[in-house]
Amino acid sequence: MPRAIRGVLIECDPSIKSIIVNIDSKNHDFIIEDLDEERVVVKENMVGELKRRLEDRLKENLPPVEESGSE
Amino acid sequence: MSVSNMPALQLREYLERLPGTTFRKLYQQPSTAFAIFRRMLPHLAKTFVMRMLFMPAPMLLADLDIWVKPDAKKQKDQALFILQALHIVHISPPSREKPQEMQLTTNFKNSMRRALTGGGTHNSFGVPSTLVVPPEIDIPFLDRYARKKWEDILHFVVSSVGFKSAGEVSGPNKSVKELLIAGRLVERRPNGSIGITQTGFTFLLQEANAQVWTLLLLWLEAMETNKMAGLEAVDMLSFLFVLASMELGRAYDTNALTEQRRNMLPSLVDFGLIHVPHHKRSMFFPTRLATTLTSSGNSLRSISEGVAAATSAAFNGTSNSGGPPGHGPLKSSTELKGSVVVETNYRLYAYTSSTLQIAVLALFSKLNMRFPDMVAGRLTRASIRQAIQFGITADQIISYLAAHAHEQMHRTAALTNKPVLPPTVVDQIRLWQLENERMKTTGGFLFKDFEDQKEYLAVAQFAEEVGVLVWRNDKTGMFFASRHEQIRDLLRNRKKAE
Repeated sequence: MPRAIRGVLIECDPSIKSIIVNIDSKNHDFIIEDLDEERVVVKENMVGELKRRLEDRLKENLPPVEESGSE
Repeated sequence: MSVSNMPALQLREYLERLPGTTFRKLYQQPSTAFAIFRRMLPHLAKTFVMRMLFMPAPMLLADLDIWVKPDAKKQKDQALFILQALHIVHISPPSREKPQEMQLTTNFKNSMRRALTGGGTHNSFGVPSTLVVPPEIDIPFLDRYARKKWEDILHFVVSSVGFKSAGEVSGPNKSVKELLIAGRLVERRPNGSIGITQTGFTFLLQEANAQVWTLLLLWLEAMETNKMAGLEAVDMLSFLFVLASMELGRAYDTNALTEQRRNMLPSLVDFGLIHVPHHKRSMFFPTRLATTLTSSGNSLRSISEGVAAATSAAFNGTSNSGGPPGHGPLKSSTELKGSVVVETNYRLYAYTSSTLQIAVLALFSKLNMRFPDMVAGRLTRASIRQAIQFGITADQIISYLAAHAHEQMHRTAALTNKPVLPPTVVDQIRLWQLENERMKTTGGFLFKDFEDQKEYLAVAQFAEEVGVLVWRNDKTGMFFASRHEQIRDLLRNRKKAE
């Protein structure tokens, strides 16, 4: 019998995807199904949290570009 | 980063959640049946309904295939799905003994016939007032009144960001504010102020008609949870359809309404849908916001289409104004004339004193100067980034700027044969979005664990045909769909057929 699982499909670069997998690897509470290099299905209620954590991760690694130009 | 599947409260989604008994009650009113027919159905579905309306007996489902070209199967399936979801058509369940039959549901059929042929004393299209109409209340007056009320509401939604207007507007009634907070269009921030949410942004960029419906549906939902008010959602909804079928500029009799509907009037006044003169309480005037509720079938469009519509409305602003009164949506005063100048160095000037427009600009630009009739600012990485975090897309910003471009921009563009907005700015806004938009999210359902490859292929093929398929992988036998209702029905029917 086929199954239907509610979730959110995330499509992104392989680099971002590996960060997502890494975030998930601690407690396995985000990912429902790892589809391929650029796609994962994530629990609906965790998307916001995932985005926040991803943002934090990226901030650690690449500092935001300084704003240039005069007012 | 935006979630493409917004939980926008739209009329069709709201209706599809209602149970069949509610629909039977709704369709007792000819005005409701007619409004839903006009507003909610695609052309093919309308054709089906009109053909079946005066049929004495149910027709065979198989006969429908003769009406439709074989290559339009997808449209036919979609039309049937909508007709069933709105309980307009009943299709008998599949069985071995009898072929499947379809017919219009009784209440819908009767009401629709009455709406088209007239007759009956249902008063479903409103009772005009017999009293003398005050001379000062004419269509321009009602338009000004409705616009003022509606802009007050929009103001309240945007007021949290950027500029506070010096002469603070009165703002909408307290009940409306509570409604906006309950609907999460705005939220109370920890410091006690009111802030806009992502849903609020989407709301802001919708066309006026869709905005009105969003608010009305929030209101209906709030009433359902609050039974104390003694209002019933079904009756409220049919009254809204009655309002929608009324004539602009005409007075209607308050006393002809049931008590329940009279109780709705104060809220409708707050929304600007009707006007009740101070000294003549026994009559009310529907405004343009009310009479256009069901005027166009495509008011249920998505955000991006809404923006496109607002864009074209702004472009055609001057040519449309000469149209017949009583038709066409209410134009916001700020949309009528372009006022925004964007320079190649990302500077932005807007010749406007409308606090509403200034507040909207402040959503995605960094305004740093304000003069009596003009504001100046810049588009910056940070300002665009903030907008995107709120859920606005780069395309929405660009189409807003294009739609509101100053006529000087158009003139220069025409002279030099270049696009209206500087391409560098447009590209940079898109790039800033890409920088922030690190992933694309789509809500829906993952289908897996099929019995065999054959079953998988059949179901995935079906999902693709009805237009819900987002992603598929034939190797692993899994696919992702944005909706599951149609697929669920298919799987059930397959099981029965086995």
